[in-house]
Amino acid sequence: MSTPPRIAFVSPRFSEGPTVGGAETLLRQLAERLVSKGWQVDYLTTCARNHFTWENEVPPGHTSIAGITVHYFPVDSGRDLNTFITIQNRISRSMELTRDEELSWHHNNVNSQALYHYLKTEGHRYDRIVMGPYLFALVYFASQIHPDKTILLPCLHDESFAYLKTVREMFLNVKGWIFNSDPERNLAQQLYGLDLAKAHVVGMGLNGFDTNPKGFRQRHHLTTPYILYSGRREPMKGTPILLDYLDIFRERTGLNIKLVLTGSGTYDPPTRLAPHILDLGFVTEQEKHDAMAGAIAFCHPSVNESFSIVILESWLADTPVLVHGAGDVMPDHCRKSNGGLWFRNYPEFEEALSLLLGKPSLREAMGKAGKDYVQHHYSWPSVESRLLEALR
Amino acid sequence: MSTELFEIDTEGVDVQRIMAEIQETVAAKMKSGAYAGAQLARAERYNLMHMKKDENFFEFYMESLREAVFIDINDFEIRERRTAFAPLLVKLKKIIWSLLKFYTYRLWSQQNQVNGLLLSAAEEVDRKYREKIKTLEARIVKLESKLPPG
Repeated sequence: MSTPPRIAFVSPRFSEGPTVGGAETLLRQLAERLVSKGWQVDYLTTCARNHFTWENEVPPGHTSIAGITVHYFPVDSGRDLNTFITIQNRISRSMELTRDEELSWHHNNVNSQALYHYLKTEGHRYDRIVMGPYLFALVYFASQIHPDKTILLPCLHDESFAYLKTVREMFLNVKGWIFNSDPERNLAQQLYGLDLAKAHVVGMGLNGFDTNPKGFRQRHHLTTPYILYSGRREPMKGTPILLDYLDIFRERTGLNIKLVLTGSGTYDPPTRLAPHILDLGFVTEQEKHDAMAGAIAFCHPSVNESFSIVILESWLADTPVLVHGAGDVMPDHCRKSNGGLWFRNYPEFEEALSLLLGKPSLREAMGKAGKDYVQHHYSWPSVESRLLEALR
Repeated sequence: MSTELFEIDTEGVDVQRIMAEIQETVAAKMKSGAYAGAQLARAERYNLMHMKKDENFFEFYMESLREAVFIDINDFEIRERRTAFAPLLVKLKKIIWSLLKFYTYRLWSQQNQVNGLLLSAAEEVDRKYREKIKTLEARIVKLESKLPPG
């Protein structure tokens, strides 16, 4: 009997309980699918849960979660945060950096010498090592240890970090790449000139679910239409845009539409809008799906998405989406599925939302088109076959 | 306020067609002034970084800024939403306003000067770069015309 393939996933955080993030969720889901296929799966991560403080919260060591052996390693202490932030600000403003400055940024980013040491000594036992997302130093340094068996799952965005010399080197140094969407792969090809034979678009599979939108409305005493946003609430995710736009929309149209939020992070809503926001914080998956099913639309105002699990979930809940048009990935999903509209500025937001509010039959048709798209392209069997092909 | 300018056929949804119609509607409404004003300019404060590629929208934004740049520092009608003691509250507000006017006028007029200067600077930078781009484009056309065919 042959030995099952052995694989390691490497990521700064492991998706569990309050530790959430699209990339982490994606890596864990892929790891679980490989477990179900009989692979031996290790997950190498840090003891941190909070992506702002990077405090070591989980005890170092290993444990088994859903068939995955999760190894927790402490984040290094002694980061020079001033240097890190100074260089990061320069990167954010697209200023030219020397290679030494880029390396200094990586050295003062999130690192774990313990994890690197483990990979150096134990890495030879793995057939493949999948790591991501790309902009963490942990991935940058880990990818240099066994580049011949490393597959990068970058979750790449068109942002200033993607243009660093060292990031380009990392992309060109590894065995292959797993992308979440065609626009992400095209961006990487354009930036780094990749060998497309080694670039695979995999994505994540999603299972269907039942919803109870009526129950959700009753539980939260919602009697008016609402739009939903689920995920991290922060400027990088476009939350302030959504808050400003909805505030102006309510004032200009006189329509009483509310905003339901789930997820984490603080935000500062316009005073007029604040009483019309229902912030549920962390909710169960079922509650999130119920909220999606009851919404007029799921609104995603971010331009930095490499996949966007939530909009696919929203389609599975039969709800259309309204997304920012400046990114490539989400409008691409909308075009291919016919399940959503997009906006590049406030006037387009107002027209699109007004249309969705005024046309229940259009909402229904778009929700159905989106659901068909997810079921066809993102069912687990089709994702698994793409994943296994990428790991060959 | 949004008014429907187009009809959407929900059979066989084509979002690209819907988006094209939305964009046409927006262009028509912008032309008619339905999407102008300080409020709209303010709504885009966090979205500006995503508009770099959209030249037309920058023009619209500058237009909105022009409308918003000067704060209205004149006297205004003082009202009271609460019905109880409304006349008394209005009187009180009028007294406060008249007492503070000497200070707020000075403050706001200086703010208006700063706003005006900033707007002029932004317009000048925009104008200069447009001219520069126009000159460079003309130069490219001229140089290309001198290239041998093929």
